[in-house]
Amino acid sequence: MTGPFTALGHALQRIAAMAAKEAAHIRRDPQTLAMALAMPVALLLLFGYGVTFDLEKLPVVAVDQDHTSVARSMVRSFSASRELVIAAELDSVEKGEALMREGRAVAVVVIPEGFSRALARGERTQLQLVVDGADATTALQTINKADAIASTALSLPVTTPGQGAARLVVDTWTLYNPAGRSALLLVPGLMAFILAMVCVLLTALTVAREWERGSMEQLFTTPIRRGELILGKLLPYVGLGILGVLLVLAVGAWVFGVPIRGSLLTLAVAALLFLIGMLAQGLFISVITKNQMVATQVGTLTSMLPIQILSGFIFPVANMPVPLQVVAQVMPATHFIAALRGILLRGNGLREQWQHLLALAAFALVMVVITSAKFRRRLD
Amino acid sequence: MTDKAIEVQRLRRVFGSFVAVDDVSFDVAKGEIFGYLGANGAGKSTTIRMLCGLLAPSGGQAKVAGCAVGANTLALRSRIGYMSQKFSLYLDLPVEANIEFFGGAYGLYGKALARRRDELIERIGLGELRRVVTADLPGGIRQRLALATALLHQPQIVFLDEPTAGVDPASRRSFWRLIRELAREGTTVFVTTHYMDEAEYCARIGLMVSGQLVALDSPRVLKDKWVPGKVLTVQGRDEKTMKSVLGDQPGVLAIEPFGATVHIRFDPARLDEAAIEQMLANCGSETLLIDKAEVSLEDVFLAVVSKGVNPSTVSHADAGVPA
Amino acid sequence: MLPRWLIQLYAVALKEVRHTVRDRRMMALLLIAPAMQLGIFGLAVDFDVDRVPTVVVDHDQTTVSRQHLRRILADGTLVQRMVTASDAAAERAIDTGQMAAALVVPRGFERDLARGKAGHLQVVVDGTDPNRGSIAAAAVARYARIETRVAVQQALRGKISAARIGLALDAAAVPMASPSFPDVVLLPRVLHNPRLATSTYIVPGITALLLLVVTVIVTAMGLARERETGTLEQVMVTPMSPLVLLIGKLLPYVGIGLFDFLLALVVATAGFDVPIRGPLSVAFLGTTAYLTCTLGIGLLISTVSRTQQQAFIGGFLFLLPALLLSGVMTPLWGIPSWLLPVTKINPVKYYVEIVRGVLLKGSTFQDLSFHLGMLVAMGVLVLAFAAWRFQRSLA
Repeated sequence: MTGPFTALGHALQRIAAMAAKEAAHIRRDPQTLAMALAMPVALLLLFGYGVTFDLEKLPVVAVDQDHTSVARSMVRSFSASRELVIAAELDSVEKGEALMREGRAVAVVVIPEGFSRALARGERTQLQLVVDGADATTALQTINKADAIASTALSLPVTTPGQGAARLVVDTWTLYNPAGRSALLLVPGLMAFILAMVCVLLTALTVAREWERGSMEQLFTTPIRRGELILGKLLPYVGLGILGVLLVLAVGAWVFGVPIRGSLLTLAVAALLFLIGMLAQGLFISVITKNQMVATQVGTLTSMLPIQILSGFIFPVANMPVPLQVVAQVMPATHFIAALRGILLRGNGLREQWQHLLALAAFALVMVVITSAKFRRRLD
Repeated sequence: MTDKAIEVQRLRRVFGSFVAVDDVSFDVAKGEIFGYLGANGAGKSTTIRMLCGLLAPSGGQAKVAGCAVGANTLALRSRIGYMSQKFSLYLDLPVEANIEFFGGAYGLYGKALARRRDELIERIGLGELRRVVTADLPGGIRQRLALATALLHQPQIVFLDEPTAGVDPASRRSFWRLIRELAREGTTVFVTTHYMDEAEYCARIGLMVSGQLVALDSPRVLKDKWVPGKVLTVQGRDEKTMKSVLGDQPGVLAIEPFGATVHIRFDPARLDEAAIEQMLANCGSETLLIDKAEVSLEDVFLAVVSKGVNPSTVSHADAGVPA
Repeated sequence: MLPRWLIQLYAVALKEVRHTVRDRRMMALLLIAPAMQLGIFGLAVDFDVDRVPTVVVDHDQTTVSRQHLRRILADGTLVQRMVTASDAAAERAIDTGQMAAALVVPRGFERDLARGKAGHLQVVVDGTDPNRGSIAAAAVARYARIETRVAVQQALRGKISAARIGLALDAAAVPMASPSFPDVVLLPRVLHNPRLATSTYIVPGITALLLLVVTVIVTAMGLARERETGTLEQVMVTPMSPLVLLIGKLLPYVGIGLFDFLLALVVATAGFDVPIRGPLSVAFLGTTAYLTCTLGIGLLISTVSRTQQQAFIGGFLFLLPALLLSGVMTPLWGIPSWLLPVTKINPVKYYVEIVRGVLLKGSTFQDLSFHLGMLVAMGVLVLAFAAWRFQRSLA
């Protein structure tokens, strides 16, 4: 009486057998284990510190053309700030620009002659800031910070009564990241990026290697079906991947203060779907390119830079031209990063993130299906 | 000025605690076809790679084409050619491109390269296949190509490591025709092989067992020394029967299966064919077919390997029994 | 009579070219893919904070509140995408990530202002992207500051009664701005990239990254492949020195890299208005030095790897920090000091500065001599080390 459940039982058995074999391979290969577990942690530590928008100690050249005590106190308030540091006090703008060309300064702040006199007369006074725009991110932050310093450095509170009158006061609340640390923005992106890379690496190499050694053909003589083979191959790596996710979340929380405010279950589901999708993609790459060199070139080029640039990891997806936004939406990393940010930082759960989860599930499904299909054609 | 192409003195190579080549000494004369035999793992390839400058010796010294091994490697390499056991030309390039590349590696260029290339392609019979991608060539032809690249710069010595492994008999025959031509032209050929019939072409043969050179002589002398006596090939009686009938007979030196037949080696001074024939005829009822056979180098090989190291052989050896 | 090493060098380079030409996929990857990717990525990168999706909650619903709201939204930094009367709904919108900011005007806003009290505006920003959040908040704060300044100045000029704004001042005696309320304005002058356009400075950076990925992967795996297939042994038995072999293998890829750089230049200038203000010869020189560096590193990786898989992992582990710690996508000014040495030996950093220097700043050979020198030094060092290791691995 072979019913559908018995058939399913057999299928599961074969999948389990395949998974066990693959797991045995992995156990015998310490490199794979190191790659799946140690590497994500090490990389997150390295890049969590190295990739940041929180700029500090930006070197600024001060050119004081006024030579008054007011000017000097303005210079002092620049050097007192945490974000900017006075790299040198020079006497001409050209010398300051020379330092900028060498990369030793990012801006030159010029206090013009007559600065304190104009101030005493109650005129509007100007500070000049010559900024190197070749790195616009740095330039913008320098301008903003200098602007904040300039407009508040010399202010004294207006100590007359009724000071709050007819003024607009802005009360600002910054949610989820009151300190404004870019780590909270970037570390979830890093997590997704690193995990994606490791997944593609792991599977792209494994299968291509088996093709080159010829052991793949031996597998085909067993009664295993293609879909079962794919799933069985993937399972141990998914397990490794989950461990990697846990490690990475722990590092994110302990070292970089990335909280986990939202639903753990949603997070787990998102991670699982993401892993399956990425691993299946790696498998797909190695199935269609039997040559190892090309497999890895293709795998790397198709994953590394696109994920870095298009997934919202660093550059906001909302700012991209619409066709590229569509491309970004096709990439699972985009959805995983959005989900991570939502769940970890904004305390989201399934209700808020279901669309991203759906996208991840769709990608995973499509990948597994087309990988199985491609496998079939190789046999016949 | 020596007339020896290769001089080897107490050459030694160890890998960790494993001794691959153990105090080997021999000479090879110019223009000689020198065969090097031994089981897999006996140390043949290691010896060749040391002589080619691919591997540094752990001890001893060797002079190849007048150059000391380990010293002037580039000069050494420009005087020798090497064909490795595993096919090692570029499979994705066509025949011509492989030859042109290795020609360039040996310093040939321009018209000289073109001329030599065409010469060799003709000589090895690949004229029509010069544009074919190497991966598409059959095994035997690939080996010829590999040999050709080893000959590009007209080396004084050519080292061939199992050049005909896996090649069909007809191709093997033509391959060895080439080798004998080379030797006639004055090129020294140092060749290792598992095919005993090929080894007969060699002027002298060295036999390696577990890193030691246990025998070194011409095929004739080796046969006389290691497998003296005459050989009969017998069909119609099984080995067991024959051993029980003849085993204790004085003068019977060896009874060995050989394909579908059995070989009996005997000392003609103490026994004669007729007697043997008589004894065999009496112990069975099937038709007996007896014929004379030649002692082969295979017999020599088996005798050497099974007897182990013989202290009285050419090279100095420790009195140890090989594994 | 040509020197032998030159003949050998040519033979190796020619062979490498033949290998590559035969593999159509490799050709496409090496020659076309980089320029294509540059085009796509250049379009994607944009740090500008504007059109921040904002939800507006106006509890006051008066002329004054509407007027202020309209003027805050006027410059486009914030864009109104949702209007609601419920605080909870606004908060939900930010929670889900739909909206990135909320502008809330409390009830009684107009009344407070009319009575001479402070009018409070509330801005709630999503701090997930601190850059966007802070700029959105700053836009509103700037508006408030300007409005306040205008009001104070009008009072000081006697245009409105001092009592009205609660300042006890002798209007005639006090000048327009008193030292206790100084009016210091910062006037930025941005060199080289006045519009602070993201693509202008990221595109040269991405060029460096693309060149890096292509060259390191190809060389790291190429030598490992030769070792695995056994062809390396056949080459080593010829009188070719390992150094000649290495350099010969590099040469075609230097050519390919230069070609890729040229294509990238075309894409950058035609597609992204990246200027060319400095001598291109310096840029090409820098590219050559950079390529010898990256190719050398690829070769070094392959000499220490016994299999292709090891070579690829080595390449990958070099690539990641090289890409992320290069100053291309995130500036290097924020990294902790213990990480600084890593960036100082990152050839990508120097190359990006050379390209940005030549294209955007009009830097000359002199300006960039340090960077060029570093690249050359690193390239030579790496190649020498790779050759030495290669030699050793053969014995």
